[in-house]
Amino acid sequence: MTKNDKTIQEKITELDAYVAWFDSDDFTLEAALEKFKVAEALAKEIEVDLNALKNDIQVVKQKFDTEVE
Amino acid sequence: MTGTSPKLSVSDFVALTNQTLDYAYPHVEVEGEVSSFKINQGKFVFFDIKDAGASVGCFMMLFQLRVPVEDGMKVIITAQPKLTQWGKFSLTVRAIRPSGEGSLKKSFELLKAKLDNEGLFAQDRKRLLPTIPQHIAVISSTQAAGYADFVKILNDRFGGVKIDVAHVQVQGADAPDQIIRALKYFNEQEVLPEIIVIIRGGGSADDLSAFNDELLVREIAASRIPTLVGVGHEIDESLADLAADVSAATPSNAAQIIVPDRQEMIRSVRYRVQSLLPRIVQIIDEQKTQIRTRLVRALDSYEYQVERTHEQFYRLTHVLIQLDPNVVLRRGYALVRGEPKVGSSIEIETHGAIIGAKVERYDKK
Repeated sequence: MTKNDKTIQEKITELDAYVAWFDSDDFTLEAALEKFKVAEALAKEIEVDLNALKNDIQVVKQKFDTEVE
Repeated sequence: MTGTSPKLSVSDFVALTNQTLDYAYPHVEVEGEVSSFKINQGKFVFFDIKDAGASVGCFMMLFQLRVPVEDGMKVIITAQPKLTQWGKFSLTVRAIRPSGEGSLKKSFELLKAKLDNEGLFAQDRKRLLPTIPQHIAVISSTQAAGYADFVKILNDRFGGVKIDVAHVQVQGADAPDQIIRALKYFNEQEVLPEIIVIIRGGGSADDLSAFNDELLVREIAASRIPTLVGVGHEIDESLADLAADVSAATPSNAAQIIVPDRQEMIRSVRYRVQSLLPRIVQIIDEQKTQIRTRLVRALDSYEYQVERTHEQFYRLTHVLIQLDPNVVLRRGYALVRGEPKVGSSIEIETHGAIIGAKVERYDKK
């Protein structure tokens, strides 16, 4: 996970909000470039996070070949 | 025989015979055709198993009957031979399973119809799986090729998932009970996984018959946790598939259903950000066009106002010219100055001269 503690899903949601802002009535050219830079950095973080994720596979100790008393 | 043979009571003889049978045949598997199948008092099952040369009576408890059976069906029974206290030889059946394609199909269809009638396969019972699960449970044999495929695809596609695996048999007589125990185990955990995945690779109809076990199918349908079953190949359909919330064609397909593909997600994220720049350029172009249009409109408006002012100026100038007394005099009129009464001197101005005169007559009109 990159610098902050947000999950990938939270970061994707944040990126969605930035992308939506570009299509909203709040859009202004003055703010657009700054927002674009933030969105670009967020996308890079998501990519790094996704590539770094590893699954944690554990075989449970419980045996299932006989009924547990 | 000599007189040294022990004398046994009838009961002892029966007990000794059963002891010998237990020792020699702790359990036997017998294949044959079912006949005279009947259920007594809703809990005891009686039938004969036979072939062309012999027939043996069988007994079992109804709860042990995990698949539908009817006369004429070919089955394999796991049983213990026993001599009853009435001297009748029979097989006490612990498990029964259909044998041969025809019987497997028949049993499958009978149980499918029964469970379908109870609504176990109804679409409105199906639950959605979480989009990106963080904790899943897998029930499979960790030695099976299907399990290896599942793990490989899962790791390739996504990460960060906690995966608890219950290692069970996925074929054979013990498989259904082991899978049922694993299902109960996960459903009783303090922290529940978000999905239970049951997987097994391909196999013969007999290999996959564990997934048509009635109790297992009911346990899957009753699971508190949403279930995903990926058993066999694309063409295989088990009752476990039908009872599950989601059915996958293969174990690999199960992994594809459970987690998104991280490479696709990365491509999507990149594309979305890259598409923002053209959006900015497009808005700049739109605003430029708007500004140009407004400038042109302002210029048009300015030119119109200038033209209008010129027109007004010319019109007023014309009026002023018409009001100039010299212009009136040029048209032949004269301007008279002085008091208009008889005998007074007056001045008459024409276009070409100023004339002095006296008033000789003054009549009101």
